[in-house]
Amino acid sequence: MKKYSFRLFLIAIFTILCIYLLYPTYKDYQNTKDIKQKLEVLKQKKLKENPKISKNDLDKYLYAMEDSIRNADPSIAETRAKRIKLGLDLQGGMYLALEVNTAKMFEKIVGNKADATFRQILKEAEKESKYSDKPLVDIMIEKFKQKGIRLSKYFGSVREDEDVIAENLRKQSDDAINRAMEIIRNRIDQYGVSEPSIQKQGSRRIIVELPGVSKQEEARQLLQGRAQLEFRLVKDPQYTAKIIENINLVLAGKAKIDTTTNQAIIDTISNKKSSDTTKDSKKQTEQEFLAENPLFKYMQINPYTVDGYVEEKMVPVVENLLKRSDVRSVIPSNVEFVFSAKPETFKDGKKYYTLYLLNAKPELTGEVVTNAQANIDPTTNAPIVTMQMNSQGAVEWARITGANIKKRCAIVLDGVVYSAPVIQSKIPSGNSQITGSGSLEEAKILEIILKAGALPAPIDIVEERTVGPSLGQDSISAGFISALLGYMLVAIFMIIYYQKAGAIADVALVLIVLYIMGVLAGFSATLTLPGIAGLVLTMGMAVDANVLIYERIREELALGKTVKAAIKSGFDNSLSAILDSNITTLITGFILYQFGTGPIKGFALTLMIGIFTTLFGALVITRVLIDWSTDKTNRISIG
Amino acid sequence: MRIFHNLNVDFMAHKKKFYLLSAVIILAGIISMLVSGLHFGIDFKGGLEVVINFDKKIALSEMRAKAKDMGIGNPEIKTFGENGILIRTELQTMNKEQTEELKSYTENIFKEYKPDINFQLKSVNNDEYIYKFDDALTAQKIVEFLLNKGAQAGRVLEENDETLVSVRLGLADFIKMKLSNLFPDNEFEVIKVDKVGPKVGDELKGTAIIAIVLSILGILIYLAFRFKFIFAVGAVVALFHDVLITFSMYILLYDVIPGLNLEITLTVLAAFLTLVGYSVNDTVIVFDRIREQLKIYKNIDNLYKHINDAINKTMSRTILTGSTTLLTIVVLLLFGGEVLRAFAFTLIIGIITGTYSSIFVASAIVLDYAERIKKKIEF
Repeated sequence: MKKYSFRLFLIAIFTILCIYLLYPTYKDYQNTKDIKQKLEVLKQKKLKENPKISKNDLDKYLYAMEDSIRNADPSIAETRAKRIKLGLDLQGGMYLALEVNTAKMFEKIVGNKADATFRQILKEAEKESKYSDKPLVDIMIEKFKQKGIRLSKYFGSVREDEDVIAENLRKQSDDAINRAMEIIRNRIDQYGVSEPSIQKQGSRRIIVELPGVSKQEEARQLLQGRAQLEFRLVKDPQYTAKIIENINLVLAGKAKIDTTTNQAIIDTISNKKSSDTTKDSKKQTEQEFLAENPLFKYMQINPYTVDGYVEEKMVPVVENLLKRSDVRSVIPSNVEFVFSAKPETFKDGKKYYTLYLLNAKPELTGEVVTNAQANIDPTTNAPIVTMQMNSQGAVEWARITGANIKKRCAIVLDGVVYSAPVIQSKIPSGNSQITGSGSLEEAKILEIILKAGALPAPIDIVEERTVGPSLGQDSISAGFISALLGYMLVAIFMIIYYQKAGAIADVALVLIVLYIMGVLAGFSATLTLPGIAGLVLTMGMAVDANVLIYERIREELALGKTVKAAIKSGFDNSLSAILDSNITTLITGFILYQFGTGPIKGFALTLMIGIFTTLFGALVITRVLIDWSTDKTNRISIG
Repeated sequence: MRIFHNLNVDFMAHKKKFYLLSAVIILAGIISMLVSGLHFGIDFKGGLEVVINFDKKIALSEMRAKAKDMGIGNPEIKTFGENGILIRTELQTMNKEQTEELKSYTENIFKEYKPDINFQLKSVNNDEYIYKFDDALTAQKIVEFLLNKGAQAGRVLEENDETLVSVRLGLADFIKMKLSNLFPDNEFEVIKVDKVGPKVGDELKGTAIIAIVLSILGILIYLAFRFKFIFAVGAVVALFHDVLITFSMYILLYDVIPGLNLEITLTVLAAFLTLVGYSVNDTVIVFDRIREQLKIYKNIDNLYKHINDAINKTMSRTILTGSTTLLTIVVLLLFGGEVLRAFAFTLIIGIITGTYSSIFVASAIVLDYAERIKKKIEF
């Protein structure tokens, strides 16, 4: 027993680890089942209440209910994040390949300088770029050179060097793609798609995967609409405090309270904040305080700006609270709560989103911004973003800034706040400097955001694949049945042919499948339908190593060797064949992984993981079990 | 249980016959490829593919007959899964008349909702049409009405203006419109839409060729390290052989077996690469045994005998592994669903030819080479 202890220990560790890694997947499956049951009950109830409800309304209702059930318990989301992810082909959803239409952008840059020649060149370049890997901007510049037309005729100024102009154009084209990525990411985040994937492919393509989204229209609108950039004033702290207090009253169940007491409560709150109360009374009041102010369970308040800080996982809860009709009734229609685009990490290590109260009406929209640039301020060494406006915007901007000095103005893109700088002084020319960015990267993002509104380059969808949820469900069950049946057939076959040794190989095979799944979960890899096929195929091929070894042991036994010696040389002699054959499969698996997209990548991954676990299964698990079973009897049952 | 115990067959004596057999199949494949061309799936060809499930089952022949009237050229109609029907067209966008037709169809839906409704087309961005209605409530109701009618519509929420509705008028919507006109009392559900631009398809073809070439190169290099170069060449020739035979079967059996859609798609490509891996796997095991035989007996003159011995000794393993793998793949073919069927088919052919080629192609080439150069093969 002792001589196997290390290997047995290894097997036990791997097994426990994989079970641990797979537990969330199991749990998530259970959760989903529970939620489905709950939804079914709700559905029946709703149908009883309103038998004529349209399918669309019912779907909407159920979707909302599912959302709220999932959001109510953070652990559901946590287990979901750790489960084996399912590919779009299994859970349904949308795959989109997008390209930024840089031709439209150049058309806009050139504006009314555009003539027939320019349009002709652009048209040709656009056509050519459809069938080439080269970016449109390069093709266009080449075409200009071929025809002997100077770029400066349309772009930049006459004094500028041709190469400089070309370089600028390339930069603008790159920029447009980065901006599009930022906008898409931001919109998808807001849309609340779980586990979206947004990747840049090559120089100009963006790949977006939206699991669970089957309403194409919504997704397309999300991706193709123009970015809406707005400048909106942040309400002053006193005003915000009052609104928050009102919300608290509603939530605490004391909705109808006349304004005087209301005012009194605000005063006490602000007193509480400013004055140092003793620890004792603070402790006492804390519980009462939360009971009276339920909103503060979910968020903290900045005592100076009265901005709210909401922990990442509480954001949906607060969003839902703010959507409640009774809560909405105490928020005036001319203001609106808006979250920040990105969370900040606080001292406690958690991520918090900032919640601002803004004017509902924008002071100015993004169309007036003509340019923006992130830089390091040479005097202060801090990152700044400079922004230019057109003349009409500048006039407005001068009025707005002049009237709101020392107030904050939020830069809002598609409904989230990217920055809320304080207006330092009246800005007459439209040339503004925005300070306060934490790093140059942050400033760069702000630059992209500011330009986003200024320069909308349309996005074209070049590839679009939608898998309906019912097809995905069918695929899951087909895959599951195939895997189970495949295993059973192989297992029976092995037992018939090799008897006890066959059974040992079957045990190893179960562990191999467990390990593959465990590793998939551990790497948070995505399981696709071809991935399941890879798993089924691996089961067929995994016994290959066992067959090689067993056939060899039989041969050695036939040569008259003792059981121990036959086992030893059986394993030793088949090693090189096992290694060589698996490494060649690994090579193709690796190449598939490199070149494949989505589902194919999943297949390659399972195949590769399968090879490693197969080797472990044959050389460690089978060996230990065979050695062990022959240890005492000195006999082997190998058919 | 034992099969092929103490097998002793002179495989190498028959190698000429098997060369001929392989050559015939491959030639037939190449000829039919020249005649009918390769059948690429949407991944490589580009176009639009819509899969729909009708409430009441519709015969494929009926669908085919009606599809001609759909005004989308000459669409391909196939079954998908049990009840699904796949409609594929190479068109990517609509022409003017089609757009107009779909537009007036959509606007008629507005009127169907309320005959005296006021609307106005505000803007068009690609296939997204934005309509303006009188008030927010109408806009909201119209969206619901459109969604229930199967159209793709959504609200456009703009500051202070909630009267805008976006409707998508794309080719997929055109097909849906035609279907609901052709089958007015049979509801259907769209379960899958694939739209691939022509450039994407061309790019994928390039990538696919690179992937296959690279994996063959990788295998060649690895085997050249592990064995003598001629063995690596033998294995790679066997590999080409397997890929070509499977390819030929693809072309020869296209549209022959009902329910089996043999088109070259991304998934099929993955199956081809897997078959490359499996085929080499099998060849390597025979080669490994030849190498061992040569090592043990030191007598490398009789390569003919050693190769035969090695094949005989590994035969039971070859058949066993081949059977277990085939078992699982047949299960995939039968139960894996529509998407995996062609994948499983490729592997079935691949495994059979892979097993066959490691004996009659890979080993035979090594032997032929050795006999021709009349030199001893050394390790």
